[in-house]
Amino acid sequence: MRSLGSRTKKPLLTGVGLVLTALMLFPVYWMVNESFTRDQDMRKDPPNWFPVHGTFEGYRAVLHQQLPYLGTSLLIGLGTVALTLAVAAPAGYSLAKLRPRGGGVLGFVLLIAQMIPGIIMAMGFYVIYLKLGILNSAPGLIVADSTIAVPFGVLVFAAFMSGIPEELMQAAKTDGAGPLRTFWSIVMPVSRNAVVTVSLFAFLWAWSDFIFANTLDGGGDQQPITLGIYHYIGNNNQQWNAIMATAVVASIPATVLLIVAQRYVAAGVTAGAVKD
Amino acid sequence: MSTLTQTPAPRRPSGRWAGWAFLAPVTVYLVAFYAYPMYRNIDLSLRHYTVRSFVDGDAPFTGLANYSKVFSDPTFAPALEHTLIFTFVSLFFQFWIGMGLAVFFSKHFRLSATLRALFLVPWLLPLIVSASTWSWMLNSDSGVVNHALHAFGIAPVDWLTSPTWSLASVIVANIWIGIPFNLVVLYSGLQAVPADMYEAAALDGASAWQRFWKITFPLLRPVSAITLLLGLVYTLKVFDIIWIMTKGGPAGSSTTFATWSYRLGFGNLLPEFGPGAAVGNLLVVMALAFGLIYIRAQRKQQVA
Amino acid sequence: MKAQSIARRVACAGLALAVTGGAAACSKTSSSPSASSGGSQGGGGGTYTVWDPYPQFDGSSDWSKLLDKCGSDAGVSIKRTGYDTSDLTNKELLAAQQGNSPDVLIVDNPVVSTLADAGVLTDTGQTSLDTSGISPNLLAAGQLAGKTYGIPIGANTLALYYNKAVLSAAGVDIASVKDWPSLTAALAKVKAAGKKGITFSAIGTEEGSFQFLPWFWGSGANLTKLDSSQAASALSLWTDWLKKGYAPNSVINNTQTTSWQEFATGQYAFSENGTWQLANAKKAGFDYGIIPIPAMSGGTAAAPTGGEFVTIPVQSKTDRYATTQKLVACLTSADNAYATDTTLSYIGATQAVQTKQAASPDLKPWVDAVAAAKGRTSDNLGTKYPKISQPLWTAMQAALSGSASPASALGTAQSAAAAATK
Repeated sequence: MRSLGSRTKKPLLTGVGLVLTALMLFPVYWMVNESFTRDQDMRKDPPNWFPVHGTFEGYRAVLHQQLPYLGTSLLIGLGTVALTLAVAAPAGYSLAKLRPRGGGVLGFVLLIAQMIPGIIMAMGFYVIYLKLGILNSAPGLIVADSTIAVPFGVLVFAAFMSGIPEELMQAAKTDGAGPLRTFWSIVMPVSRNAVVTVSLFAFLWAWSDFIFANTLDGGGDQQPITLGIYHYIGNNNQQWNAIMATAVVASIPATVLLIVAQRYVAAGVTAGAVKD
Repeated sequence: MSTLTQTPAPRRPSGRWAGWAFLAPVTVYLVAFYAYPMYRNIDLSLRHYTVRSFVDGDAPFTGLANYSKVFSDPTFAPALEHTLIFTFVSLFFQFWIGMGLAVFFSKHFRLSATLRALFLVPWLLPLIVSASTWSWMLNSDSGVVNHALHAFGIAPVDWLTSPTWSLASVIVANIWIGIPFNLVVLYSGLQAVPADMYEAAALDGASAWQRFWKITFPLLRPVSAITLLLGLVYTLKVFDIIWIMTKGGPAGSSTTFATWSYRLGFGNLLPEFGPGAAVGNLLVVMALAFGLIYIRAQRKQQVA
Repeated sequence: MKAQSIARRVACAGLALAVTGGAAACSKTSSSPSASSGGSQGGGGGTYTVWDPYPQFDGSSDWSKLLDKCGSDAGVSIKRTGYDTSDLTNKELLAAQQGNSPDVLIVDNPVVSTLADAGVLTDTGQTSLDTSGISPNLLAAGQLAGKTYGIPIGANTLALYYNKAVLSAAGVDIASVKDWPSLTAALAKVKAAGKKGITFSAIGTEEGSFQFLPWFWGSGANLTKLDSSQAASALSLWTDWLKKGYAPNSVINNTQTTSWQEFATGQYAFSENGTWQLANAKKAGFDYGIIPIPAMSGGTAAAPTGGEFVTIPVQSKTDRYATTQKLVACLTSADNAYATDTTLSYIGATQAVQTKQAASPDLKPWVDAVAAAKGRTSDNLGTKYPKISQPLWTAMQAALSGSASPASALGTAQSAAAAATK
């Protein structure tokens, strides 16, 4: 959709955009402010808009202790993306193009699957994982986190792939390609935007997941950053500047990822739906 | 997305095998990872559990006793009311703010891609951090919001500690967290709207407002529907934000089914797993009901 | 062809993943800042698991080192995990259900009776734990139906911290604060001098009940009858303070930590908080003092005991108990307990440790306070306590937020508690 406004409107739009973004990100600014605040200024009335008596102790604690957790979070995030794509892409292709009987039912079930509250899933997984011996492990957490993203992923892939022109599929068929070959060589490359979109959502959801990490990896050696925060939540005391500093440090790689992936996400999510 | 509910097109026999072969991973996945937790939860809600029988596993089957306990609990009606208000108000604002921002960012001015990406930052924060940050900002005495209001001469509001404002405060925080999702999905829906339609309309003399309502919005209907449905499902499940900000209080003024279920099962010294699971199941039923309405609306659309 | 470039991209991503994963794995095992300590110091006698509510202590802390040492003394290696204290009960219940309980469980004292009632914990008869040196008022929280289910690792309780500068600027002599009227009068003077009166935690969780109990008991009320007139007067004390502005509105949402942060700004005269804040008090940057919480008409109010119990969950392999008992005895021995209690800022549970601590002027008032304190689950309340505590904090929240009067809120609470404890 091209803008039909005149040239002079553009800088004004940028200005408005900056203001809106600033408003939206104000709580994030406040979080950064708190990460530099000394403990005794946390509840100062009136509050400091800028950390005038700043302290780095939060960041020092984070850099000293939290980096391995960041590494684990990254590992789990990427693993979740891989698993989600592996399960959701073929399913989306099937629902969109192959259309087996009963596919609609499966789609509906996927919709319902997202309605189950996380804590119920987590408790169920605890039992399964204990029996399988994958409690307190990173692979177990990867599987659990993917359950957040797979139903959504199937939805996105199905929608996107249904928009792939039939001519492309016909051409592959006349070339003698079976469904698998068509999927791998034709459909997937064209679905690049959907792949990026689903990957982004899966990564972000896995990155900020807490409930599965807490129930299923609470005692593990490899813990994600959402659990690393608990170092600062003692039984009687909490170190809030360190907690906020952890969040800030954890957000930086994910923000970079977001900015890089944005242009792919733009066209990715719903390309098929509108043309129906 | 209507592909999920369309009647299947005619296909060749080999297509059927291939179709289910591709669906096999997700089917196995569904059965293994969703069916079992759901079954356990239903089982939990149909038995009478004490801590001892939870550990020993020999809780007696009591049928729908937990459900009738939940329905007759004085918390039920307020929790239902709060859940509905929380969900619909959040959805309404998240959707329209997301839509407005999506339209705004479609204008492709300088920095629009970067700013749009920055709008997603709230999404990456762990909920304990976002909810705590909002808590601090809304603190009655040391919060920056009251401080700013004071600068405008408005008396401080007890955002989190007054029964009148607690629900509004958690709704605001939830809207903030939900905007990124709506923005992303609606924006990409907008990208798929063909530009020539706008040009034609502009040539016909339609104003921006008319263009939006007569062209953009109708074309976005499928995308909007799925955004709202997914938004509904996700919002019904929301509990971290409310729990961290107000614990569902004070005096139950911001208790929703999700927080009630948590409080019953995990939020006090003596867990009541049966009723907690029952409330959780009620949530799933509510979401299911809306899902069915959506499917029905989709079918009607198909026929029309 | 496009497929090849996709494949290449996937391979690159996979490689990146492997490298990061390898880096993460390597960095994890070498520095191991996570909650589990290295198991290399133990002997070949197997691994024993310990769960505790101290996630603030990582592998390099004194606590972890103590666990490892006790482990190697007993000839085993220790795998320790620190959990959030509010989570621990449910984690243990779920684990016990699946036969996955740890060997040693350190848990907050009010939940000991709940876990014992669930059949999750062994009693001292089964494990031959020695409880002879423990002060009876502290041991009571871990006793149910005549059996003892654990040993306290230490205890803490509540008192009133005060800011000397704020009080002197307001012209208040701390010696005059002896009962509720004199306390309220002092708060009025502080407010008139432009500072803030008192801060505490009245949040809708067990913390809120914990903070309210000294006032509740100090009015002469009993937990079995929440709607007595004495209880109403205790709750009215708090609601009046809020109405007059002597206490901030944020108490409704305050945890003890955030309440302490308010006090640490130096703008408050009083803060109701516990032994564990001692280290923070020293860092506060102003002169502080401590007085015991006054009872309604004078004297010291009974304060509730906080602090964790070291318990031994039931195991299917009962031959493990012998070693576990050695571990627990080591952890709670006089010297080790003294070191741990110093780190946690708790008061010792045995006479031996308490005498040592009383020698220090900082700790003496706390030793006295703990001696006068009582467990929340004592008075034979046991598992009834959680069912009474929840309606109690609900009543506090209702009264403080203005939705109900203290008397009617407590009336509702009593009906709920009576129904739940039938």
